[in-house]
Amino acid sequence: MSDGGARTDPTAEPDATRETGDTPPAAEAWEVFRREKDGDPMRHGGSVLAPDAELATHYARELYGRRQESVRLWIVRRADIVDLDDPDLLQPPLDRSFKKPGGYVMRDKLAAAREAAGQPKPKARSS
Amino acid sequence: MSAVSTGLPPATATALETLLRAMADDEFVIGFSDSEWTGIAPQLEEDVAMSSLAQDELGHAAALYGLLGGLTGSDPDELAYDREPADYRHCRLLDHGRGDWAMTIARRYLYDTADAIRLEALAGGSWAPLAELVGKLVREERYHVMHASTWFDRLARGGREPRARLLSALDELGPDAATVFTPLDGEELLLYAGAIAQPMAAIDARWRAHITPTFVAHGLPMPPPAELGEGRTRHGGPFRWLWNEFTAVRREDPVATW
Repeated sequence: MSDGGARTDPTAEPDATRETGDTPPAAEAWEVFRREKDGDPMRHGGSVLAPDAELATHYARELYGRRQESVRLWIVRRADIVDLDDPDLLQPPLDRSFKKPGGYVMRDKLAAAREAAGQPKPKARSS
Repeated sequence: MSAVSTGLPPATATALETLLRAMADDEFVIGFSDSEWTGIAPQLEEDVAMSSLAQDELGHAAALYGLLGGLTGSDPDELAYDREPADYRHCRLLDHGRGDWAMTIARRYLYDTADAIRLEALAGGSWAPLAELVGKLVREERYHVMHASTWFDRLARGGREPRARLLSALDELGPDAATVFTPLDGEELLLYAGAIAQPMAAIDARWRAHITPTFVAHGLPMPPPAELGEGRTRHGGPFRWLWNEFTAVRREDPVATW
């Protein structure tokens, strides 16, 4: 039988950091991404609190997978995420409208190109 | 509901019912015991996890009562809820009160590892409905063993208090652990028919071999051989209390529909 790697290797040295003291390890946040079905992108599902990757995996499985709503989970320590929210970089104060595609009428050109290539118009994306 | 024929000799069919009742009652009772943590587990995530495991076990019990009901012509709800406490056939390991978290983890670890080995002995059995169900149960129980092992290891290595609590739980539960493998009436008929691969005593030995490395690694005392007389028939006060809990709503209005 297999019980998924949660077993203790009897030959392993005891982990000194967990051997001493009665203070439980502090829980930290883990972000959980999930794929709903094959072919879908990974989307952020939410987060769990857990002291380490092993329990984070259990909790992600229970909170985001126990109803068969996921085919894959990514469990990422929140502290490992590179966070960028600098308004100077993301929301600069000057007008940036010239970087947006507005003003270019692409519809007729696209339709003509598709017709030339013999491709049907793609369906609207669901998201 | 009328009974379906198994194509087995009557005495073998009766033994099959005994096996199904034992397994179904095990899953039913541990499921209800674990559901006692709903709302009060050590942290929110663990609360969801333990409640989800409890639901899994009740789901397994429902499937097994379904098979049993098919054989005996009885309704699965009646099997689950309408018996007197003395008529349940779960093992004595599951007859201890909820206790603290260490008690629950020790009970889960002992039961889940034993159940996994028992299911192995039933996989590929000659009675197709059970063999088919066991194939599904094995896949779900794999996660149960993972969860129980994670916590068992943590308590064993987590420092003075967690270890002391685990030792005290093993002290209480250990002597009853192997009652999961209490020999069943008519077991030899099931072996002869190929419905189970090994007698309970042999499954007990395989379970001990399986858990020994973990107990040795953690320096924990192995469960002693169980006193198997009445291993599934003598139910004490804690089970009476649980029975009162899980039958309360049903007794209030047995014919209510949901």
